[in-house]
Amino acid sequence: MATAAAAGTTISDLPDVILSNIIAAVSDVRSRNSAALACRKWCLLERATRAAVSLRGNLRDLFMVPNCFPSVSALDLSLLSPWGHPLSSASDPALIAHVLRHAFPSLSSLTFYARNLSTIQLVASQWRSAEHVKLVRWHQRPQVAAAGDELKMLFSECHRLKSLDLSSFYCWTDDVPPALEAYPSLASNLTRFDILNPSFSEGFKSDEIKAITKSCPNLREFKAACRFDPRYIGFVGDEALVSVSVNCPKLGVLHLADTSVLLNARGDGFTAEDASINVATLIEAFSGLPLLEELVLDICNNVRDSGAAFEVLNSRCPKLRSLKLGFFHGISMPIESKLDGVALCQGLKSLSIRNVGDLDDMGLIGIGRGCCKLAEFKIHGCSKITMKGMRTLASLLRKTLVDVGVSCCRNLPARQCLKALEPIQDRIERLHIDCIWDSAQELEDDLDGVGFDLNCLDQDNDFDDDGMSKARKRCKYSYDLNMELDVNSNGYGHSVRTWDKLEYLSLWIAVGQLLTPLAQAGLDHCPNLEEIRIKVEGDCREMSRPREREFGLSMLVNYPKLWKMHLDCGDTIGYAHTAPSGQMDLSLWERFYLIGIGHLSLMELDYWPPQDRDVNQRSLSLPAAGLLQECFGLRKLFIHGTAHEHFMMFLLRITELRDVQLREDYYPAPENDMSTEMRADSCSRFEAALNRRQISD
Amino acid sequence: MGHSLLEALNVRVVGSGEKILVLAHGFGTDQSAWQRILPFFRHDHRIVLFDLVCAGTVNPDYFDFSRYTSLDAYVDDLLCILDALRIDRCTYVGHSVSATIGILASIKRPQLFNKLILVGFSPRILNDHNYHGGFEQGEIEQVFSAMKANYEAWVNGFAPLAVGADVPEAVREFSRTLFNMRPDITLFVSRTVFNSDLRGVLGLVKVPCSIIQTAKDVSVPASVAAYVKNHLGGRSTVHMLNIEGHLPHLSAPNLLAQELRRALPK
Repeated sequence: MATAAAAGTTISDLPDVILSNIIAAVSDVRSRNSAALACRKWCLLERATRAAVSLRGNLRDLFMVPNCFPSVSALDLSLLSPWGHPLSSASDPALIAHVLRHAFPSLSSLTFYARNLSTIQLVASQWRSAEHVKLVRWHQRPQVAAAGDELKMLFSECHRLKSLDLSSFYCWTDDVPPALEAYPSLASNLTRFDILNPSFSEGFKSDEIKAITKSCPNLREFKAACRFDPRYIGFVGDEALVSVSVNCPKLGVLHLADTSVLLNARGDGFTAEDASINVATLIEAFSGLPLLEELVLDICNNVRDSGAAFEVLNSRCPKLRSLKLGFFHGISMPIESKLDGVALCQGLKSLSIRNVGDLDDMGLIGIGRGCCKLAEFKIHGCSKITMKGMRTLASLLRKTLVDVGVSCCRNLPARQCLKALEPIQDRIERLHIDCIWDSAQELEDDLDGVGFDLNCLDQDNDFDDDGMSKARKRCKYSYDLNMELDVNSNGYGHSVRTWDKLEYLSLWIAVGQLLTPLAQAGLDHCPNLEEIRIKVEGDCREMSRPREREFGLSMLVNYPKLWKMHLDCGDTIGYAHTAPSGQMDLSLWERFYLIGIGHLSLMELDYWPPQDRDVNQRSLSLPAAGLLQECFGLRKLFIHGTAHEHFMMFLLRITELRDVQLREDYYPAPENDMSTEMRADSCSRFEAALNRRQISD
Repeated sequence: MGHSLLEALNVRVVGSGEKILVLAHGFGTDQSAWQRILPFFRHDHRIVLFDLVCAGTVNPDYFDFSRYTSLDAYVDDLLCILDALRIDRCTYVGHSVSATIGILASIKRPQLFNKLILVGFSPRILNDHNYHGGFEQGEIEQVFSAMKANYEAWVNGFAPLAVGADVPEAVREFSRTLFNMRPDITLFVSRTVFNSDLRGVLGLVKVPCSIIQTAKDVSVPASVAAYVKNHLGGRSTVHMLNIEGHLPHLSAPNLLAQELRRALPK
């Protein structure tokens, strides 16, 4: 709030209309809440201008649904409590629908948990003018519906639908084509369609992709999980790819990914089988999509020598800003200083490459030279990349690169990776690395001879129509990387590294490994780090008790501004109750991971407990509940699994806690009658107890 | 009391058929432990499932420390449930402590049960002269001290950190699930479990019994099954499963389901 002291005017002198516009422009929820608390007028204005609401709260307290948001056009009902509960089996579904409709009369965008057909009918019929719908369902698709029935129900109610998001909706691929066929005019009006969903066991086949794109010629955004593997009948190959570009020429965003990729498999190099996709096809497809801004082709088999296709991409799709590729080889194989392939896509702001088996340091440097506006760069599973190549890339892109992710690259364990990013350590804002710890000895070897002689192209070269540079000014460019090494040395030959702008850190770590070496590896000083995401993965069924008692979360105390954490142990597999003799229950592992979490001043935590796959159980154990309860400043806690009432009640000891939910958002979410860990009644009792308390701010 | 008890203990009846099967879980788990056994019996039995009052899924306020001092109160709960559901005859399957509860219930109301199927049952787990229950006093003490440590921590607002894997291997299999409840309840019910001795009343059981045991259940030595068979008052048979572990309904549900099917009265 600026006050011009001399003139004595304050913000409250602004006419309401202007003030209302200002407040309307604020989108961050907490800021809006603060504004609403400033004074009555601001509160009224804030309420009147809020456009999006995500409704939390228990269905039993329906009478408390706020009526004060007349301008809401985007409503999210998917997080109502009990989470995942079908609205249509509440005691008075018609009343619920009526109350919600009355509170939010005109919606253009609607998100809800579509547990079953009757819920879809109940909700969709209230807001028939909705243009954007997102269906959410992590529970298994009910058996009763015939293929497509659920979507047909939705289409029959919401005629004006333009955008449909099924990326979190557990259904079958068979459900989609019949619904589109039954409502051809709706289909042809669709501009956004998202069926990129990891729950599909197989992904869409070629015929299905062709049919879908043919029904929806006006698509601007299309995301689909496909079956690319040529060993399967009906796999998506050349024909389907071309048909996408022919049927939907207006596409600006295209994501096609193989379902196996969506399940986050880690690996590197080449696969045994090649994909059945020709470079010529790619060129043809790209030529048909001139409006393309964002492209993802994440497939599961090799496409060799694909560089030529990407050279064309740059000229055919001049608006392309974001590119993600998996298993496309040969995308950057520069010969001497001549750039090729992806490196010629100089308009790219975001590039993510996965499993490019033949990408080496020179290729990487080529990308750094060519894609000179890159702000985001992710690389996964490229075994030939080393610290030198990565470091040179970082230096080349120093002016623009702020978001980097390196994973599953054999020659880039944590320390090497952080060393490679030194040139941008004062600029980088978001980072992902794998916590693969190596010995310090390897680092010593790398300190010598880090310099590269580069012939670099002048930055403002023109490129003619087919993407090749016209004028090539040869300049001897010698970059001495040793220059930066000894700054801030603490006298022990080990420099203290400050990552000034780093706000978000994502880590992958194998089960059983410790977190504590992180500071030593190079992330010693991150004064502005606010958010961290840690993913722990592996099978602890064969592992003996960890030698250390704790994983090392306490070391995160080094980052003073850290307040938000995702701790994802969901892909850690073990035994909940049935560990054979000599092996450890998951309760021991949860204790190992969570010790020390109370020392961090977290305000928001998302936690995925480890799972016992045999019984589809991801559940909080006693030490986990006890350790979570020690996070005294926690305001929001979301547990992505189940917990029973006794343990949930522990959490009431956290005085600041105001928003808690158990969200079983994994496939398949356990059906309530098979897993009694968190029953609707327990949930209600817990939430009632939570809400009864006084909140200090 | 009847109807509110049905709600409080999450009583559910699933499946269809004329015969009634009651599945009762042991301490430290809840009725979801039977989830993979259910499919084998749903089509020809009405199955009654419920949670013990100390289970994690039951509102902890219901655990009355002055009432649940011995197993008799649990027996009363069971009989109340069956009465509230108007069941006059059923087959009862009980695991571990619920097997004990079933035995006591059948002594009180023999007409109610046409068969008892006891999974992982032991009349007394502490060794005695001439009786090998499986555990020595010293081993039990170690379990209790872990539980006491948890209790102290919990009462003082700290995290209870002792888990099943911390106790000696000999007692681990039996006690690991006990650490799955609120620490004060755990400590309290464990005393009941470890102190119970049913050897004296086995002769009073007239209902026919099937004793199902795993070959390598560290908690229940093989000799216990023979002891029980010899001392039960009615007809009884022993079925050994060639697997290890104290929780066959979780670790080997297919095998257990087959064995249960064989043990059911025709």
